[in-house]
Amino acid sequence: MLQHGKDAGTAPPPTRRRFIGGAAGVAAAAAATPLISGCGGSAKADGKRLTFWNFYAPQQTQDPAIKAQAKWLTDLVKQWNDSHDVKIDLVFIPGADYNGGYKLPSAFAADDGPDIWLLSPGDFLRYQNGGVLQDLTPHLDKGVVEDYGDSLNSRTVDGKVYALPMEVEPLAMYFDVATWEKRGLSEGDIPTTWDQMLDVGDKLRSKTTAGLVFETNPGYYQNFTWYPWLWQGGGNVIDGDGNAAFDSKAARQALGLWQDAVAHGIAPRTMPAAGDFLSAFKTGLVGMWMNGIWNVSNFKAYAPKHKYGFFKLPIPPGGKYSTALGGWAFAANAKGNNPEQAAEFCAWALGKNDEECIDRMVEWCTVAKSDVAPRKSVLDRATEKGGYDFWALKKFKDDIAPGGRAEPRYPPVVYKAVSDAIQGTMLAGKGVNSEVERAAQSIEAFMKSYKGASLI
Amino acid sequence: MASENATALRKQRAGRGGLIALAILASVITIFPFLWMVTSSFKTRATVNDGKLIPTDFTFSNFEYIFSGSDFGRYLLNSFFVSVVITVVALFFHSMCAYALARLRFPGREKIFTMVFATLLITAPVVLIPLFMVVRELGLLNSYGGLIIPAIFNAFGIFLLRQFYLGFPRELEEAAIVDGCNHWRVYWSIVLPMSRPVLSALAIFFFLANWNAFVWPLVVTTDPDLQVIQTALAQFATQTTSNYNYILAGTMIAAIPMIAIFFTFQRQIVDSVKTSGLK
Amino acid sequence: MTSVAAPDRTGKTEAATPAKPVKQGMSRKHREWLAAALFILPDGLGLLLFVGIPMVLSVVLSLFQVSGFGTYEWVGLANYERMFQDPMFWESMRLTGIYVVVLVPVLFCVSLGLGLLMKQKLPGTSFYRTALFLPYMISLAVVGLLWKFMLDEQLGVVNKSLRGLGMEGEPWLGKPELALFTLIAIMVWVMMGYYMIIFLAGLQDIPKEYYDAARIDGAGPWAQFRSITWPLLRPTSFFVLIMSTVAALTGGLDLIFTMTKGGPANGTSLIIYYIYTQAFGFGEYGYASAMGTFLVLIMVLLAGVIFKVTKSGRFDDGQ
Repeated sequence: MLQHGKDAGTAPPPTRRRFIGGAAGVAAAAAATPLISGCGGSAKADGKRLTFWNFYAPQQTQDPAIKAQAKWLTDLVKQWNDSHDVKIDLVFIPGADYNGGYKLPSAFAADDGPDIWLLSPGDFLRYQNGGVLQDLTPHLDKGVVEDYGDSLNSRTVDGKVYALPMEVEPLAMYFDVATWEKRGLSEGDIPTTWDQMLDVGDKLRSKTTAGLVFETNPGYYQNFTWYPWLWQGGGNVIDGDGNAAFDSKAARQALGLWQDAVAHGIAPRTMPAAGDFLSAFKTGLVGMWMNGIWNVSNFKAYAPKHKYGFFKLPIPPGGKYSTALGGWAFAANAKGNNPEQAAEFCAWALGKNDEECIDRMVEWCTVAKSDVAPRKSVLDRATEKGGYDFWALKKFKDDIAPGGRAEPRYPPVVYKAVSDAIQGTMLAGKGVNSEVERAAQSIEAFMKSYKGASLI
Repeated sequence: MASENATALRKQRAGRGGLIALAILASVITIFPFLWMVTSSFKTRATVNDGKLIPTDFTFSNFEYIFSGSDFGRYLLNSFFVSVVITVVALFFHSMCAYALARLRFPGREKIFTMVFATLLITAPVVLIPLFMVVRELGLLNSYGGLIIPAIFNAFGIFLLRQFYLGFPRELEEAAIVDGCNHWRVYWSIVLPMSRPVLSALAIFFFLANWNAFVWPLVVTTDPDLQVIQTALAQFATQTTSNYNYILAGTMIAAIPMIAIFFTFQRQIVDSVKTSGLK
Repeated sequence: MTSVAAPDRTGKTEAATPAKPVKQGMSRKHREWLAAALFILPDGLGLLLFVGIPMVLSVVLSLFQVSGFGTYEWVGLANYERMFQDPMFWESMRLTGIYVVVLVPVLFCVSLGLGLLMKQKLPGTSFYRTALFLPYMISLAVVGLLWKFMLDEQLGVVNKSLRGLGMEGEPWLGKPELALFTLIAIMVWVMMGYYMIIFLAGLQDIPKEYYDAARIDGAGPWAQFRSITWPLLRPTSFFVLIMSTVAALTGGLDLIFTMTKGGPANGTSLIIYYIYTQAFGFGEYGYASAMGTFLVLIMVLLAGVIFKVTKSGRFDDGQ
């Protein structure tokens, strides 16, 4: 009934999983083994058809921005399919279920994951340590690694590239021009220090307007938006040598900043407009909101006439500017139906030196989306073609992104320790010192037993 | 004497007035969010969050978008088909099983019932991945079978139906057996017709639960043609933004059939719950 | 009523033995056994396949370190040891305890109250009934979304109304101690219509004559409730208690997911959400399975106690 005789006649699947240990003694385990170890036997097992899970396409929509993004992906796959024997099928997973949902984890856990998929930095190490990331390096053209430069750092382990970023997405502080003018503020009041920022936020806030918005929901994204404040004071979660370094003055002051902002009512405890950035701006609910470059294209699509601005994240006394750079990457499943071809596809799409590849990436970063290009050659070509002529994109490229650091790839325990510290100080009024110490202790304890790839 | 009666009557009237006020208040508390959902589904994206009950810029565009922008009709149909099949098959299987557990005498009956009941206590997130593995081994991924079959088996219905059959008059089946009916005939021509009320009440609950199912359909299918209404709603929330105006409009479309069914059949539902032992 | 066939004393035949000429060859008792086996078969098989086996697999998984990518390493009881030492596990259990202990009785009282109210034959009852059942009809994710809007700090209806009454608004989902009770209130809002109907059915089963007799004896509403309604409603009450306790222990995940993501500061990280994050967020399936098994165990114990009290779920005997 469970069809475990199914692949009796065929060759064993190439990737039999290890089922180590004394399962034999446990009757239940013995009964369950055939299920856990799987029988392969999927229809696509010949490796001629690969799946590509993503949150863009194929999707029917009238939304011009989403349409353009979906089209970019379908064109990409069509181009590949027209010229290659191994065909790729796009599988659409709604964005909200893609990150932090059930879909991807349950597929991978049951060894039924996609061949190609989009990977975020926060998840990188988990997948890497799980052994499902295929080495893309052999498939890349010469010089591509250098062309990517720093944006590959968080996707590289021991000099090998395991995922190719399609975009770079920096964070900045957005502000609403109308709200500022209503409070008698102007461009000249743009804060450059933390204290100024809190002052401006205090002036902007009212019963229905949030002065300054930081992410409030716990999650990888909140950590991502908090790291710049830590880095600006010279702090780190893990230092350059791979040691735990959380217990620092910088961590205390960064946690203190968010705590003060909330305690004084300058920053809200929950996201305005249920987290919908755009409608919050259009309804005048916010003065300032720390958010990413992707909203440039959102404004363009939904509120082209709305007046907004953004500026570099302010810095603490004696601090140095920094921001966090996010962005998704293509990854190939090392345990998939055809890891070699999957890796080849990723490299073909984003890791070649030919015109087609460069133009394709220009198209993605400046036409379909609004992002900073991850490769220097692409950035140059895009600038040349006028892709960064729009003031907002130009500012992100020239002012905001330089000095930024890629989103770290900390594993769950480290992420959770930092997240608990942020949440505890920001929303539960816990002491900054004790939370820093507690987080540092659990990070240190974890590092002692951690055996996977480097955390930096 | 007469005046005493009058005061009692007045008191009673006042009491009833209070009760009506209470009932209205409770209804308002439950209706208001829906009212709000309905009016918000006619708002634009810019104003969906403005906190006003009456839309300042009334628009039908959300509904237009939903129906022209995606296969919403198909998703509704999928949900309907899947929920109906699950409900019908589940009711049939559960009533058979419950009847045997309640009325037939056989060794190990209590043990089997206890085991069936125990499955009620198994939590979904814990078994989601093993369940996924089982369904994959059965070759049911990405099919209507995968959406339907695992959702049929649920001890809740068996438990309730057993309660109902426990209170069944024994004389009926005894007489039938003496008449030479076998157990299948007893079940089919006596027990099943007599359980119509409880089955119709359960049908509503099953249908509702499956109409609103989200996680399992999401996990078990990747084929866009197999999308159900609840997973389709999720597509209006992208990676960075949520189009709440579309989500609310879609939710409203998804909720209307349910509300209509309940409003039409509510008397029957309450009556059948009453006569069913579903209590 | 005479027995057709002599009782079979050996009684060893397997219930499921397929017999060819059934009619003549089998005693009535054996035919009953066979019928029972066949009647139970579809559901029994389904439950075994789609609930039983997954549960066994999950118990097995709890003895392994699972990477989330198909590798398994036998660790014995290490996941359970980890569980007992994990402060977050205990914190989640504590929150779940508060949640259950508050939610179940409040839900019970509110639904019973509404059931009694609906029994009064007030004008417009069918309208109230539909209205009160409405929340149960939409998915929890959407319920979460609706309430998130309405509880918004700045523009939410709730805070706006409070301000209109001259009070201060509250960040209903923004403070750990407050958020848990907000979730409980919403859960009551969702479930009360469902249990109201169950109570209503139970109430309508109580013969009207009892109340008439009590009234003649001069019993007031409270005395009537205590001496008639409450005792005769006991089977219904047991049912509501069991079902709502199970639902409280294992449900509400979608609501937490849409509204708070377990925050603020883990304030709504109920055990079911913690299990979810460990499994699907962190890929710790072994550890999640250990906690899940533990939770199932607790519920089995709880249900066992309730079963004892109610004599194998046969609530009618409870009186």
